Amino acid sequence: MTMTETSRNPTGTTDHGGGRAGRGDKVVATTAHTALTIWSLIVILPMLWTVLSSFKTSEEIHSSPFSLPKHWNFQNYVNAWTTAGIGDYFLNSIIVVAGALIVTMTLGSMCAYVLARFPFPGSRIIYYLMLAGLTFPIFLAIVPLFFLLQQMGLLNTLPGLIFTYAAFALPFTVFFLFSFFKALPSTIAEAAAIDGAGEWRTFFQVMLPMARPGLATVLILNFVGLWNQFLLPIALNSDESNYVLTQGMAKFASQAGYSVDFGALFAAVVITVVPVLIVYMIFQRQLQGSVSQGTSK
Amino acid sequence: MATVTFDEATRVYPGSDTPAVDKLNIDIEDGEFLVLVGPSGCGKSTSLRMLAGLEEVNDGRILIGERDVTDLSPKDRDVAMVFQNYALYPHMSVADNMGFALKIAGKPKDEIRKRVQEAAKILDLEAYLDRKPKALSGGQRQRVAMGRAIVRQPQVFLMDEPLSNLDAKLRVQTRTQIASLQRRLGVTTVYVTHDQVEAMTMGDRVAVLKDGILQQCASPREMYDHPNNVFVAGFIGSPAMNLLDVPVVDGGVKFGNTALPIPRDHLAEAGSRAIVGARPEDLTLSDDGTGLAVTVDVVEELGADAYIYGTSKTESGEDAQIIARVDGRTPPEKGAQIHLTPKPAHLHLFNAGSGERISV
Repeated sequence: MTMTETSRNPTGTTDHGGGRAGRGDKVVATTAHTALTIWSLIVILPMLWTVLSSFKTSEEIHSSPFSLPKHWNFQNYVNAWTTAGIGDYFLNSIIVVAGALIVTMTLGSMCAYVLARFPFPGSRIIYYLMLAGLTFPIFLAIVPLFFLLQQMGLLNTLPGLIFTYAAFALPFTVFFLFSFFKALPSTIAEAAAIDGAGEWRTFFQVMLPMARPGLATVLILNFVGLWNQFLLPIALNSDESNYVLTQGMAKFASQAGYSVDFGALFAAVVITVVPVLIVYMIFQRQLQGSVSQGTSK
Repeated sequence: MATVTFDEATRVYPGSDTPAVDKLNIDIEDGEFLVLVGPSGCGKSTSLRMLAGLEEVNDGRILIGERDVTDLSPKDRDVAMVFQNYALYPHMSVADNMGFALKIAGKPKDEIRKRVQEAAKILDLEAYLDRKPKALSGGQRQRVAMGRAIVRQPQVFLMDEPLSNLDAKLRVQTRTQIASLQRRLGVTTVYVTHDQVEAMTMGDRVAVLKDGILQQCASPREMYDHPNNVFVAGFIGSPAMNLLDVPVVDGGVKFGNTALPIPRDHLAEAGSRAIVGARPEDLTLSDDGTGLAVTVDVVEELGADAYIYGTSKTESGEDAQIIARVDGRTPPEKGAQIHLTPKPAHLHLFNAGSGERISV
């Protein structure tokens, strides 16, 4: 990155900051872009293949797995949604995940806010307990959880699953939002206090909107985590009418042995993946915001 | 609008032995512009935050008008504050930022809009009411913060270094604007700054703090002409006052090779040594070689005037820096040996031990 290199650059990229646009940067950029391209292909190609396959018949999938479908037939989706009962499981998943997210986000943001901004005796202990919850392997909790829910009469019910999910997601939510609230300038809360806002109003109308990038990030991560949750529902939700999508998928894939309707199975996979993509797309900008936060005043 | 009274107000931060603000007593009149000034860590911001209700008062009282607000929460004090970093709500538009307090107070929408409009007009912000703070320049943000305070029509304005994030030129402009706005609105204002020029130019009165203790509270003129002690003398004025530790001789104090005559009863107060203070503009070049011998290190030419930065050997053999203002057209050369004498009418004398002023 010497001056001679920049002078050899006739396209006027000097306004990018003189000697910065040198050969070293190009190498980094090329490497990065190559890596990102490969990664994108790894992610996109299987997904594309799944989507294409979901429009094919099982025979077509076996005979020409990589060709475009001869007829774009939506019958697979109809079959998956109705015959395989994916529709019901989908609804159950929505109810459980949405319920759990509402509980988690509300309680988690409040808990993180208080821990981050109000020093009180024992606040550290609560914070470390939350951290411990983050590291606690869920497998160890399965059996006690089973009996606990049984005693509460919540075993094999959707509310039971909602509470379990919420408890499962809470430590991470608190841990993540804690640092977010910690980083918010305290003068803004003070300005709100002087403007006449009480603690509740300060939280909901001033601080929470400022933490929106953090909330969005944690929402996406929680959504993906809970939507794909398999172990907890398998153990705690064995009533077939209450099955969530992951359980339904497992049942669908295994019930027919080797004579699976692959077309419908791919359709079911697409149905499962689409909500995650939608949520991601909606909050994608916020997610970027949370990563790039602090780079601008 | 109201008076503000600090009555022995004390703040001790938890885990600290020495108070951040120690028995502060200030009476601020209705409509007065009082500036709290001092070096960083002197307790000026803490004092302001105590008045705002953001900082606990451990001892003493704070009154706004006749009302004891010592234990009231910020929202019940009817004060508005402008923060150093402006503390605008980033997710709200300029209009919402300014109207937030009124909205909380449950004022009707029409009134809020009207008052926000009025404030925006005063501050030249009408074109920006729908913008978010992010899309404003530093100066505009500063004005929004001012607007948020004005809209409230509070009893007291509190300003915590509101100009320190602006560039030098804008700072000087805004300084005048704030001062004239305050005169126009007539709202009692407490203003915190570390910049003594700001303090001198804006305040009706200036309160100088050091280590949590009030050093002097007086009008800028009084403060400049009669500083209470060595600290105030050195802090107020730019360039700073020359302060020299000199021995007391018969009938006066020794100043270089001459003795400055001092009334006898003042000398008695001083003891064997005293600190003599003379502002740069009160030192004159002597033609006859009397006075303090100074070697010129740097000459700062400002056009009309020039400042000489020189060193002088003290009695104990140390180098003391001396600053003197001389005629800009004929300043001495760098490295020259000159002799300076103070104008007797503007001489300051301080006790060498306590640093307190000996009235001259």
